[in-house]
Order: sequence, then structure tokens, then C-alpha cells
Amino acid sequence: MTDTLAAPAWDKAEQLPEDVRAPLRDLILALADSKRVLGLRYSDRMLGSPTLEAGIAASSMAQDEWGHARLTYALLGDLGDEPKALEHERPAAEFRSIAALDEDIDGWPGMIAAALLVDSALSVQYAALLHSRYTPVHNRVQKLLDEERFHFQYAAGWARRIAQVPELRGELAQALGRYLAPALAWLGRDDAPNVRRLLEEGIVSAAPSALRARFLAKVGPVLSDVGAAESLGIARDGEGWSHAGTLDWAGWNDATRRAGGGLDEETAARARGDKNRALLMD
Amino acid sequence: MKEPVYEVFARKSREEPLRHIGFINASDGELARVYAVKTYDEQNWAEMCVVPRAAIIPIDREESQFVPTAHDEHEDEIVHSQGTGSYGGGDVAVKEAR
Repeated sequence: MTDTLAAPAWDKAEQLPEDVRAPLRDLILALADSKRVLGLRYSDRMLGSPTLEAGIAASSMAQDEWGHARLTYALLGDLGDEPKALEHERPAAEFRSIAALDEDIDGWPGMIAAALLVDSALSVQYAALLHSRYTPVHNRVQKLLDEERFHFQYAAGWARRIAQVPELRGELAQALGRYLAPALAWLGRDDAPNVRRLLEEGIVSAAPSALRARFLAKVGPVLSDVGAAESLGIARDGEGWSHAGTLDWAGWNDATRRAGGGLDEETAARARGDKNRALLMD
Repeated sequence: MKEPVYEVFARKSREEPLRHIGFINASDGELARVYAVKTYDEQNWAEMCVVPRAAIIPIDREESQFVPTAHDEHEDEIVHSQGTGSYGGGDVAVKEAR
């Protein structure tokens, strides 16, 4: 790995080694699309929230996610893309959002499970860009992560509260089970060449397995508190937390971070903002 | 389950005194922090904190707005009831109420 302390920073994508640009674009696009769709999914649940304050917070989180998406898409301008075209003109098949969000979030326990596991997985990946040698990325990540601290507190607080309601505990565990494996897998494979190059050049600071460990250290205590850790195969392991399950990499595409499937046309149309296209301003 | 009230205080700069900007209902202090930030984020606050209303000891209980009164309780029921129809009827609140 490059000694990132001694290595020079890159202020522009044109300074990057040629074979790093495509992997970096893949990572940024997967992050941006996932943020965009996560914001949509949050917004779908905010009117069904159990309390007024929870709804206001969910609404604010949805706006945060769209802000994070816009900020992330904007980074792709330096890599030769037209961010507006990426945001508003792509067909559903070209979206690279995390597969866990292809379906609507089901119920309030589902909303909280997605906030806890999917949002946290994205945050862990963003945090790996915090000290990136590619300065346009690391300049934008800190504020995003500051906002995400509150998303995590919200998810953890609500997960603990739902777990106190016997009738909802099973539903929460089921929702957590639905999101855990896709969230873990989304962080990628250590031996993927594109991921390795980003790590070697100090674009990201940790390999996927290390990110998975950070993710588990973050969500493990909450999963334990809500009584779901054991059934999910998550346990305290020395200083950290481990996951006993095996991730299924069949059909996995390291660039898109997906194994086939995709967003439906209706969701993609909402993500693109088709209905308001005539009102779109620069 | 009735959620406790948390009073929200904030200031725009270090030099300013903290001032009372509102209140929220939350099941615990951690969620109260999140709700306060998300509800009162229209200003760029230098500092914000939440205080459980129950922790405030008024000097003059007759005059204090922080002592729950019959009116406050009634208002809480209307404004902060859990799972109201207008906000979609929370499945959690409905099941909790059983």
C-alpha cells in the first residue's frame, strides 16, 4: 500500500493514475445512487411514523440523503461525467444503488432496520474516504458523516424502542435479517482488482473486510441490545464483532456492487425527478 | 406509553446566552438529541442542548412554563399523541397502546 502520509495529494482526477479513475468512478456512482434511493425510501415512510418528532426527523434524514447524493454526483464532474445527466437522464438499468433498496421499505421496523444497516454500511464506506489522497472527495465527506451520526442515533434509539414491544420484536428481527447480508456484501470483496487499486493508491483507507469489521463494531452492540445478534450470526469477538454467515458472491459485479436485478422503472423515474423535469433549474 | 417532554435550548454564538427555542417529546435523551437537531435546524446553531422538563426546578412554580399543567397535558395529547391519523397512524404506537 502507498504511504499516504508521504504520497502527494491529487486535486484533480486527471492527475490520478489511469487505472484508478474507473474504479473511483464506480465507487462514487454506487454511493451516490444508493444515497438517492435511500432518501426516496425514507421519504416513503416519514408519513407513517409513530410520532410527530420521528416523522420530522425522517423527513430531514430523507433530505440529508438527497443532499449527500447531489454532493456525491457532483464529484463525478471531475471524472468526465455530466452530473446532471447522471442524476436526471439514466434508465433504471443503469442505476447502481444498493440492491437492498430495490424493494420498498416495509413498515416502521423495516424503516429502522434499513436506517441501521444500509445507511451505516454507506457511512462506513464514506468514512474510508475521509483521508483520501484524492482531495475533492475527502473535502466533502466530514459534513456528511457529521449528519450521519444523527441518523445512526435515530436508528439505534428506535431499534431499542421497537424491541421493547413484544409484538414487533419479530418483525424487527426479520427486517434486520433482510438487510444484513446485502449491507455486508455491498462493502465489496478484498480481492477485487478495482477495490485493491483504490486501496493501494490511498484513495480509500481500508479494504472491504476491514470496513465490514468497522460496520459490525458499529451495529453489533445495537443488534445485541435488541436481541437479534445471535439469530443473525453476529457475536462479540475479542475487541470487535464477527459475522458467522457466508456472503453469497454468485453473479457479483465488483464495479456495480450488485449481483444482477435492478431498480424498477417507477422508482428510477422518481429518483430522476421525471415529474418535475420541466421545472428543473441550474 | 407517554413520551417525556424535553426542552430545547440553543445559541448562535459562544457569546450569546442559551435561550429556550422549543420542546419535543422523545422516549429517551438520545432520541431527544436527534429530534431537537432535526426539528430546530433552520438556524445554524453554535450550541444546542436538550433538558428533560422533569429535571427543571422552577423557583416560582406558579409562573413557570416548565411545570406540567392541566393545559400542557391536554396540549401534549393533541400535538404529540402517538400514531395520529394525520401522520399515518404509527403501527408501533397502536400496538403499544393495546
